[in-house]
Amino acid sequence: MNAADLDLRRRTYAHMVENGTAPRADDLGDRDEVVAGWRRLHDEHALVLNPGTDEIRMLNPFSAVPSAWRVHARDRWWYANCAWDAFGVCACLHADGRIESSCPDCGEPIVVEVHDEKPGDESLLFHVLVPAERWWDDIVYT
Amino acid sequence: MNLFRSEEHLGRWLGGREPGATTTVVELSVLAHAWWDDRVSADWRPHTREQNQAILDRLGLTGDFWLLP
Repeated sequence: MNAADLDLRRRTYAHMVENGTAPRADDLGDRDEVVAGWRRLHDEHALVLNPGTDEIRMLNPFSAVPSAWRVHARDRWWYANCAWDAFGVCACLHADGRIESSCPDCGEPIVVEVHDEKPGDESLLFHVLVPAERWWDDIVYT
Repeated sequence: MNLFRSEEHLGRWLGGREPGATTTVVELSVLAHAWWDDRVSADWRPHTREQNQAILDRLGLTGDFWLLP
């Protein structure tokens, strides 16, 4: 990853952290140049674009679109992509937080307070369906 | 990558599908903090495969299922 792409990635994440939403390409500069850079970052799994639209889908661990995983941290609600990423939002913001989702089986709410990097409810189970070798075959499904 | 209330809920959700890997939510939190800690740092650099595999290894997430490509 070259210095220009690293800088573009840094500015993209900084926009997310500052505003709580992913930037549009023209928020960061010349649209065509930004999209070209984002495509390279997508290819290197440094972010995830929506196919066809060149809009950001994931700035892992953040989701740029509403998801089943909401995290309250640093006085703001965020969306995450999955359970791993929900804890990742607290991790990357270096903040305590509150994770809200639901059990995929019964639909009952799941709420986890995260304090000092530890979950308040230790009874829950984390399940990963797809083996690591195939995570990026379809990262949205993973 | 989901959280479940119990093994019973997980089993029902799988509905006959082959299970993947299951850990406690405590282990998940440790994993997530190791994996994502630097993600919004201005000094972030891409993790190598070896760095990421080492994170999994340190947490005992080993075996074919956890082998990164």
